[in-house]
Amino acid sequence: MAPSTSSHAPSLDNLIKSFNSQSLEASIESLIFLLKRRQVKGDECAKATAHILRQVVAKAKWRDVDELLSRVQSVGSRLVRSAPLEPVIGNVVRRVLGLIRDEANEDRNADDFGSEAASDIQSLTSSTTPHPLRPGPSPIRPSPSALSSGLPVSKSMFNLLSVKAPSASPVTGASTPLSQAQPASVHALRSEVMDGIEEILDEINQADDQIAGFSEIQIHPGDYVLAYQPSRTVERFLVKAASKRRFTVIIASLESPSPGSSESPYAALRKKLNAAGVNTINLASNGLMAYIPRVNKVIFSAKAVYQNGGLLVDSGSCVAAQAAREYLKPVIALCPVYKFCPEDPSDEVSRGELGSPGSYVSYANGPAVDALDIENTVTDYIPPDLVDVYLTNLGPQTRHHLASILADHYKIEDIGLSLQLGEP
Amino acid sequence: MAAETNGAPEGAPAVQDGAKLAPTPANAPANAPANAANTEKLTAAQLKAKAKAEKAARRAQVKEAKASAATAPQAQDKGAAADGKGAKSKGKQDGQQTQGRGGQLQAHRPSVSGRRPSMPIVERDIRSGIPECFSHLPMAKRIPTSQAHKDVHPAVLAVGQQMATFALNDSIARLKATLLAFRKVIESYETPKGNSLSRHFVPHVLNPQIEYLTECRPMCFAMGNAIRLIKGNINKFDIDTAEDEAKEGLLEWIDFLINERITLAEYAIARNAAQSINEGDTILTYGHHRLVEKTLLEAKHDGKAFDATVIDDPYGCGGLELAKTLRQAGIPVSYSPNLGGLRPKVAAASNVFLGGEAIFANGSLHAPSGTADVAMAAMNAGVKVIVLCETINFDRDRVSVDSLTYNEIDPERNTADSFRLLFDNTHDRYITGVITEFESGGGNSPAQAILALLRKQEDPLID
Repeated sequence: MAPSTSSHAPSLDNLIKSFNSQSLEASIESLIFLLKRRQVKGDECAKATAHILRQVVAKAKWRDVDELLSRVQSVGSRLVRSAPLEPVIGNVVRRVLGLIRDEANEDRNADDFGSEAASDIQSLTSSTTPHPLRPGPSPIRPSPSALSSGLPVSKSMFNLLSVKAPSASPVTGASTPLSQAQPASVHALRSEVMDGIEEILDEINQADDQIAGFSEIQIHPGDYVLAYQPSRTVERFLVKAASKRRFTVIIASLESPSPGSSESPYAALRKKLNAAGVNTINLASNGLMAYIPRVNKVIFSAKAVYQNGGLLVDSGSCVAAQAAREYLKPVIALCPVYKFCPEDPSDEVSRGELGSPGSYVSYANGPAVDALDIENTVTDYIPPDLVDVYLTNLGPQTRHHLASILADHYKIEDIGLSLQLGEP
Repeated sequence: MAAETNGAPEGAPAVQDGAKLAPTPANAPANAPANAANTEKLTAAQLKAKAKAEKAARRAQVKEAKASAATAPQAQDKGAAADGKGAKSKGKQDGQQTQGRGGQLQAHRPSVSGRRPSMPIVERDIRSGIPECFSHLPMAKRIPTSQAHKDVHPAVLAVGQQMATFALNDSIARLKATLLAFRKVIESYETPKGNSLSRHFVPHVLNPQIEYLTECRPMCFAMGNAIRLIKGNINKFDIDTAEDEAKEGLLEWIDFLINERITLAEYAIARNAAQSINEGDTILTYGHHRLVEKTLLEAKHDGKAFDATVIDDPYGCGGLELAKTLRQAGIPVSYSPNLGGLRPKVAAASNVFLGGEAIFANGSLHAPSGTADVAMAAMNAGVKVIVLCETINFDRDRVSVDSLTYNEIDPERNTADSFRLLFDNTHDRYITGVITEFESGGGNSPAQAILALLRKQEDPLID
């Protein structure tokens, strides 16, 4: 059951490289194994999901939108089930589903008007908006009929129309309308959807940089910034801020102080920051209350944001957020839009995920291993009232407006995705 | 580098000196009878931990002796070192009695200090690495016994070393060791001609000891209180009091202090706190505090069935020992090695028991770093937070509103690469009640009431 033939050290990059050399089903299986073994985790999950769904759209056999949707849904739900504590996967699946619905609607709409001009306008609007899922254009794009009447109407109409000669793909703006019926439409839809997924991938890749762009506004000269377990997103953010500002970064984490590997954990980041003239202090501490009076703001990145504004984070971030609350210091959560989940946190999420206790209590310590229930919690849930700013790649948000972000990015039909997942 | 190459041959004989002198039996038998009353049985594990701690301390001494060898006159250095070693062998006795409870706590310390050699060997100013924003805080420091003031009593020297290496860590263990060392100082004190004990002892004998101890590690609040009490007591003696009588009185009074404020207090607190545990409770605690351990064992002994959750500090790993002890006593224990998932764990508990290092006049609790986070999470989850603290730890003069006013830097982690404060400050609004030795069953006082409490008991602290 090894992931694939070519890769002996399984990783996402190897998997992506192997897409062309193996069948779709094999690729999906490999990714599921990677997810189950946690060899792909965190932000990489989003990328992996987008990549694999792109393969699904490209390689799977499907004749109409309906079939495509169900293919994506079934692959998506398999992925989600293989990593239940990575909500990002579900988000990307929903985004792709929404994208497919949009493209399908567009086709229909373009034809609805029945004129060359209408489809031109359509192509114009969509080609001038490189990110079809940004909040700006999106309120325009999902047609009112799609929202009000839901999926069944759109698909039946699509079928109805596809019998007639459909128009050319609006996005590619091809000047020669293809006169074939079904295959052309499928072909056009396929390439549109793949372009759309490409855009989602771009968004995922650029999100960190876009968030870093707001660092100047958030960090002021002379600040003491507590960065809790700085992820790549936070690192970018701090390094970018360091190019403009002089401040002090206090790095905290729950890393176990295992002897041997005790070289300062964030050495690379600290080197970068120090080179930019920013002081860093590595805290070797569990509790953070002692340092908060000195700190001006707390920054960490979220693994996921739920629709109530609660955050799924690395364990211990909650201690930081709670301590900051006590001293009324702002808590800034960095969370790209693709991490926003249109669902509420489950009980498992609020209890936290358990990790290996091996780094804290060694197996040599027989009596302890035998007798104790050792719980090394590796994720935390932060309730919404402990977070002040949600800094997304679209700018800072408060929890009162998360609903609009969710509405802009997900289709109502897809929100129940995880509910459907329980069935098979 | 030069110091290192020169120092190596110097260092070697020093170790040998230590080895030769350590078993010197001269002092040991003399102390034995005096100690017999207080001596607790030592387990093999405790002895081992002890030996480790001493080894680490000796290694550090040798290293520092190396550094100073270049400058200090050789002969004097050696003589002093020999003194120090002699003291060490004697001090061992003192340390051991106080370690009955603390012995297990220290087990992790030597291994931590064992890592020290990875730091630069020529380390002139140990405070130079402290980030500027924390540079106002004090830090324990290892002073080579050769550099101590000449008036420092050997017993105090040993206690100082143990404090600097955190072999004595907990406030009460330190207090007890200090008091026992002061006993020795008083025993060996002879008033010079033309002086009286009440006028001469404090400025010329006691103060250098206190200075030395403070230099080794900032005094804990209990020690401050006890020293104030001792001084007050000495001043009460009439100038004409005969020396023997005064010494006798002082020794008796110190024994009284140890009995009343430490031994009995511990018993009473554990008793009272155990009564507040109900059948079926889940008791959550943070780190390893002697009083919490006693309390839980006591409650178990009373036949109560309850669960315990131990949340540990990965940098101070005492909690694992506590978890094992509790497990051995038959209490179901869930152990968390760090503060991850704190909120759900605290919310599942029915009571949170915390041990305190000190309580300030405004009711805020001074306790090992992380305690405040646990207390806050508990209070936010609507769980009772009960602090166990002897009244000798109450500070009636000082007020602290944040953790950066009175704190200590961990001498093992004092640079920007790795920095840690030892304590934090828990606001009194996160404390439901404090159990002290004055409480009679069930009722415990709010944290703000400490001044009233001290007054009510007509404590000698209130003049």
